[in-house]
Amino acid sequence: MNLKKQFMDGLLYQNPVLVQVLGMCSTMAITTSFFNGLGMGLAVTVILTLSNVIISAIRKIVPDKIRIAMFIVVIAGFVTMVDLFLQAFVPALAESLGVFIPLIVVNCIILGRAEAFSYKNGVVASFFDGVFQGIGYTLVLLAMCIIRELLGAGTFGGGLLGAGGKGIQIIPSQFPAGMLTLPVGGFLVLGCLIAAMQWALSKSKK
Amino acid sequence: MSNEVKTKEKVDMDPKYIIKLTVTLFVTCVIVAGLLGLVNSVTEGPIEEKNKTKTAAAIQEVLPEMEGSPTVVELTDEMTAAASGAGATITEAYEAQAGGSVIGYALKIVSSGSQGNIEMMVGVDAEGAVTGVSIVKNSETSGIGSKVMSNENGVLDQFIGKSAADGTLSVGKNVDAISGATVSSRGVTTGVNAALAVAGVMG
Repeated sequence: MNLKKQFMDGLLYQNPVLVQVLGMCSTMAITTSFFNGLGMGLAVTVILTLSNVIISAIRKIVPDKIRIAMFIVVIAGFVTMVDLFLQAFVPALAESLGVFIPLIVVNCIILGRAEAFSYKNGVVASFFDGVFQGIGYTLVLLAMCIIRELLGAGTFGGGLLGAGGKGIQIIPSQFPAGMLTLPVGGFLVLGCLIAAMQWALSKSKK
Repeated sequence: MSNEVKTKEKVDMDPKYIIKLTVTLFVTCVIVAGLLGLVNSVTEGPIEEKNKTKTAAAIQEVLPEMEGSPTVVELTDEMTAAASGAGATITEAYEAQAGGSVIGYALKIVSSGSQGNIEMMVGVDAEGAVTGVSIVKNSETSGIGSKVMSNENGVLDQFIGKSAADGTLSVGKNVDAISGATVSSRGVTTGVNAALAVAGVMG
C-alpha cells in the first residue's frame, strides 16, 4: 500500500475523468453551477468510498461468476441511501441534481474502481482509493463548473454564494456565451481539460 | 495482500455451485433491502413533511388570494378522464376560499418532462383562467430543463390569465419555450392544458 502514489493517481496520473475518461455523462450534465459540482462530487465520493470498502471486505466470499451483480447490488444500495438522505435533509441539492443522483448507480467510476481496485485490494487501501478517486472526480467537476459558469453565465459560486444563490456576477451579464452552459459547452470544456492534462502528463514524463 | 484476481472458479453446471451463486446473491439482496428499509424509516418522516409544506406553499403561490387552508376535493371519474384526455394525470385537487366564497381551485397535475414526471400545482380561478403555475417535484436536467422549473425569465408566468377560451396551448404557437428545454416546456404546457380541462368539468 502506497498512500502517496494512490493520492497522486487519484488526482493526476489516474484521474477518473481526465485520464480514465469515466463518468462522462454526469460530468457533462451537472457541471453548470458550482453548487451542483460540489454536491455531485461529494455524493460520488461518499458512495465510492463506502462501496469500495464493502466490496473489498466481501471480495473473498463473492463468487467470480456473479461479482458484477453483487457490485451493482451494493452500489445501488448505497446510492439509494444517499438519495433518501439528500431528499430528507438537503432538499435543495436533491432537487437541483435531480435524476443524476439515482444515476450514480451506473456511474462507471464506481463500478470501474470496484472491478479494477477494491476487488483485488485490502479494505484500507480501497478506502483511500475511494477517497482519492472521489477527490479527483470532484476537483475536475469543480474546474468545469467554474469555467462553464464564468464563461457561460458570468457568475461564480452559483447555487451557493451571492444574492438568492445566483452566484456572484463577475462578467456583466450581456457578455457571457450561454452556449457554454448547454451540453455542447460541456464537451468543449472537457475536451480542453483532457488535452491540457495529457499535455502536462507527457511533459512531466520527459 | 494479493493483487491477483482469484483463479477462475469452476464453470461447469454443478448444481451445488449454481445453488451457491443463487444463495449468495439472494442473501446480499436481502441484507441490502433490510438496510434500505432502515434508512427509509429514518428519512420517510422528513421527506413527507417537506412534501406537505411544499404542497401548501405551492397552493398559496398559485392562488395568492386564498384565505385559510384549502379543502381537499375528491377526484371524480370525470376529472380524471378530462386530465388524461389532455395527456396528463391529476393526483390531487383543492378548493380555495376567500371571504366565504370559492375563489378557485388548485390542481396537482403530473405530466411527463424530458427526464421523468413533472409534478405541478396549477391554480385556476372561478372564471376558469389560470392564476399561477408552480412546480412541486421534477427531475429535469439541471441547468437546462430546471430553468423552466425555476420559472426563469417568467416562463411559468406566461400561463397566467390563459383560459379554455385560448384553445389548446402548445409550445411555439401560444407558449414560449426556453431554448434547449423544449421538452420540459412542453411538459408544463400539457399540464396546464390538463388543469384547464379538469377545471372545465368541475364547473
